[in-house]
Formats: sequence, C-alpha cells, structure tokens
Amino acid sequence: MDVKLTIHRFVEGKEWTQDYNVTVTTGMTVLEALTQIKEKQDPTLSFTCSCRSSICGACAVRVNGNAELACEMLVEKLVERYQTNELTIQPLGNFKVLRDLIVDWDPKYAELKKIKPALQPKADTSMETGCLQSPAEFNKYKKLAGCILCGSCISECNKNTLNQGDFLPPFAFVKGQKFTADSRDADPKGRLKAIVDAGLWRCFNCQECTAKCPKGLDPAAAIEHLKEATFRYGLADNVGAKHAKAIYDDISESGMLDEAKLNIKSEGFFAAGLRAPMAIRLMKVGKMDPFESHPVNPEIKTIQKLVKAAEAASKDEQGTGTVASGEPLIKGKQVGEVLA
Amino acid sequence: MSQKYAFFPGCVLKGAAAEAYTSLTKVCEKLGIEIEEIPNWTCCGASHAQGVNELAALAVNARNISIAEHMGLPILTVCNTCTLQLRTAKARLYADKELRDRVNGLLKDAGHPYEYKGTSEITHFLWLLDDHPELLEGKIKNPLTGMKVACYYGCHILRPQEVMNHGDGKHPEYMEKLVRKLGAEPVFFGASRKCCGFHAQLAAERDVLTVTGQIVDSADKADAQCIATPCPLCQMQLDMYEPEGRDAVHSRAEVPILHLQQLIGFALGLSKTDVGFDRHVSAQDKLKIG
Repeated sequence: MDVKLTIHRFVEGKEWTQDYNVTVTTGMTVLEALTQIKEKQDPTLSFTCSCRSSICGACAVRVNGNAELACEMLVEKLVERYQTNELTIQPLGNFKVLRDLIVDWDPKYAELKKIKPALQPKADTSMETGCLQSPAEFNKYKKLAGCILCGSCISECNKNTLNQGDFLPPFAFVKGQKFTADSRDADPKGRLKAIVDAGLWRCFNCQECTAKCPKGLDPAAAIEHLKEATFRYGLADNVGAKHAKAIYDDISESGMLDEAKLNIKSEGFFAAGLRAPMAIRLMKVGKMDPFESHPVNPEIKTIQKLVKAAEAASKDEQGTGTVASGEPLIKGKQVGEVLA
Repeated sequence: MSQKYAFFPGCVLKGAAAEAYTSLTKVCEKLGIEIEEIPNWTCCGASHAQGVNELAALAVNARNISIAEHMGLPILTVCNTCTLQLRTAKARLYADKELRDRVNGLLKDAGHPYEYKGTSEITHFLWLLDDHPELLEGKIKNPLTGMKVACYYGCHILRPQEVMNHGDGKHPEYMEKLVRKLGAEPVFFGASRKCCGFHAQLAAERDVLTVTGQIVDSADKADAQCIATPCPLCQMQLDMYEPEGRDAVHSRAEVPILHLQQLIGFALGLSKTDVGFDRHVSAQDKLKIG
C-alpha cells in the first residue's frame, strides 16, 4: 500500500506543503515513514526523534489535526481511522515552529517553571534518614511521574489555542499535581497558589489533553485534582472556584442547578448585575423566569447526607481526590463491553 | 433491543433549555422510543463538582445510576456533559472494587434504598440512533433535502475515548451519517472540533466569546443553514452568546443553533412551534425549515 504524506514545511520563514509518497510496510510507524523520506527522498526534511520507544517524547507531531507520538503510531492504523491513503502531517499545535516539524520548547519550559517543578523537601529530610514515604503515599503520584514531556497534550488544547498568556500547558498541571500529591513536599500550598495564579480555573474542560496523552496520564483529571486541593488549602477565592462551588452546593440545597442564582453566587451581586442585558434577553424568549420558584428534590435529606458523608470520608485525602490520581480509567479494556 | 429508557434530563432541560426536553419527548414518541424520567435524580455535577469534592461527585452519580438500575432500564441522556459524568462514575466504579464498596457504604449510610451495581447501560440519544438505524426507517416524512447542516459534536461526547468509546473520538462521523439520513447535507467547517467554552464562560470569558464567534462564523462561511448539536450546553453557549461572539470576531454571521432532536423533529414533520424554536435567542428568522 502506498500513502501520500502531505507535510507542512517551514524553513527560514518560508512556509509550504510538500507531498511525499511512501510504500507502507506492515508495522511501519509514522516516524519510520518520516525517516525513510529523509533518507531516500529529501534530506532537507527536519524532525526530531531519539528513543523510538515512546519514552523520550521527542517525536510528537500532528497527523490530520491530532497529536500523535510518531514512533508508536502505525501508518496503517491512521489509514484505517481516516479511511484515506492521504495524510497530513504538521508540527504540534500551540508551539512556535522552528523548522518543518521541529518546535520551540524554550517558552514551554518557562511556563513549566511557574509551577516550581522541583520537590521542596520537608524539614525532617536529612542525609542520614532521607525522606521516607509509604507505598500508599508513593502511589498517589506515581502515575503522574510517567509524563515524557512530548507536548501532545497542548497541541489541541482549546484554551491554549485561544490565549497562552494566562494559562499553562496541560503537562505543567500534571507536574504540579505530581508535586502537590507528594507527601515529601514541604510547600504544597505555595505551589498551589502559583498554579491558581497561572490560570488553573481557566481550563475549558474540553478533554483534548487527556485524549491526546500517549501515556494515559489524564491531565484533565490532574487539573480537577488540583482544583479540589485548592479548596482544602483555602485558595478557592476566585470566580472559577466560586462557580464550581455554587454548582456543587446546589446539589445539596435542591438537587438541581438554580440557573437564576448561579451567576450571583459565582461572581457576586454587583458583577452579576452587569449581566442584566443577558438576563433580559433570556427572559424575552422564556429561557429565564426570575419569579419561578426553584423546585426541591423530594429526597434532598438523603442527598445532603450523602454529600456530607462523602466529604467526611475524603477529609484526609489531601490533594489527590479519592481515585488514585491520574489512573487511566479503563485503559486497555474495551469499555464498550464494560459499560454496555 | 429495549425500546424503553430511564431518562436522565440534566438541569438545563428543566430550565433554560426546556425546548430540548419537549422536542425530545415528541421525537421519541414518533420514533417509538419510550422514555421515563429517573425519579428524584440530581445534577450530575456539571463537570464542576469533582473539582470541589471528587468522592461526593462520584457518590451522587452512583445514586443517579442506581435508581435507573432499580427501574431495570438502561439510561438515556441528551447532554454530552451529563453523559460524561455518569459514564466516568461508572468507569471508575467498575475499575475499582474497593471504591465501589466505599461508595455503596456511603449510599447505605445516607439512607439511599438501592445499592450501586453497574448494570445499566448509559447511552446518548445520538448514539442510540447510530446504534439503531432502524428506528428512523420509514419515519422521514419531510426529508431535509438541500439543507446544509454544520454538525457540531461538542467535546464530552467524544472524549475521553476510554470512557465514551462510541466510534473514533479523533475522527467521528456518526452525526454526519445521521444528518444524511434525514435528507440534509453535512458541511465541513474549520471550527467543527473547537470547544464552545461553556464550562469556562465565567472564568475565561473573553476567550470563550471569541471561540463562540469563531465556531458560528466558520459554519456560516461553509454555507451552513444551521448548526446542529447533540449537547444542550453547546447549544446554549452558541445560541445565547451568538451576538457577543459576533462582536468578538468581527463577524456578521447569524446562524440558527439547533438541538439535534429539533433537526430530527423537522424531518419527522414537526413544526418550529412543536420543537420550541421560538425559545431560541439567535437567528429566529433565518431558519427556512419547519
């Protein structure tokens, strides 16, 4: 089988697309196809790679708009998914391109530094005793240590695509959660504060990062675990956190969202008042009725008890939430079978 | 196949997107799908509650699912986010028996009468029609011939693949297939995979309005006569904030934003009034069907 690879080229300010035909052999990866082009057709084509074993994270590219690790993605699998022998290869999204498929990591490392990506050891750590940690404590962040910094998670991140100035790359949140969940760290609150300031609550929850992580780390869940931790550390005084809390509280108060009061609870009375034109717009078409009483779930007592019991049971689970942090949900199993 | 479903409406179908409920009821009646609302359901957490307390969010969804299990029925939803929250709870409780026992302990202590078992299937209205094409057979009274539709899936029906797992989340085609079956023509538009930003409307307002504008403008440039979406939250974001979105991207695009079941309703012979189109904020006079 032959495939046509349309590759986005960028050399010294010039941009163009170039087509290459490759004969696909069984088990050929995207990286093997790129290497073959470079060796046999066009030595000027530039890309990065190293380990060829999904460990170094150097070779992520975008194929037909989705980030893939070139060394593990099979060309035949892509042909099957897109039902075509013509594939488009681009550099990762949301990166500055240096040349062809090579992107600039320096600005991303600068972003990563905002979350203080190093363990701040507790005072009782010493050369003699080290810093002891139980297997259970280790398991809270073990999975997150598997990030290979390939950049796939940011490629299609909707928030980063719109504006990178007030947000972080998803992998930075993964690192942030890894340290926040580490029992040896002396200053989880300080780090969390830095993460909140760097834009934690501006995540769109679009799940692109989780869908693209080749290691199954679930950055979107890491973001949620960080948010949860901000409530434990008293750092939830911002509009995003108040909005989440308003929704959460509605479950116990009535069982259902009280749309008419949601903005007031989230933004405060004055800021929400500025949204009056929107409220009038909604009232005009019958989407909002400020005089309608909000119904209360007949089982509200049970629901309140349930939420309270869950809060009490998770009180000491600092920072990681209740499910092993970042564990893939049912990775490797056919969830269709499971959930059917 | 069971034609009866325990229906999980989600909050907005009881409020701002009530037309999504009335149109679904009418469409299900015509297609022979029986739906019974899950009694005393609560909010799924709207993709926010787990960021406050994950165990509590899990427990309330285990409760929701257990009521449907007691009804002996699979669960049907029309909201992408509700579907994701319910299926996430199910996936987590399946993968971790210890967690399941713990959540069942919480349910019991709170006085909830049913145990969570994990026996009810959780599906979305769009998936139901994709899995059972026979439901539409012979029912298309008013084929939407010549109508160009921008299919806007939204995010939570596609991702994460491990939880949602219907078709290929990176290259879905089932909504386009359904729209063709209605007689209409799906159009490709550049912003089709962008997130509408609904969940960050307050926390990242400027960016959200920009992307709202980009999506509507992109569909307009592709000559779409309407955008149809299987998610009421996407629908609300694109419809209610269409004017601000226009301003944010300097566009003139006015495109009606339809709930998927409204579009299907038109093909089944329902009118604009039947499907509650008068409750839409934007492009009221631009819709040429129904």
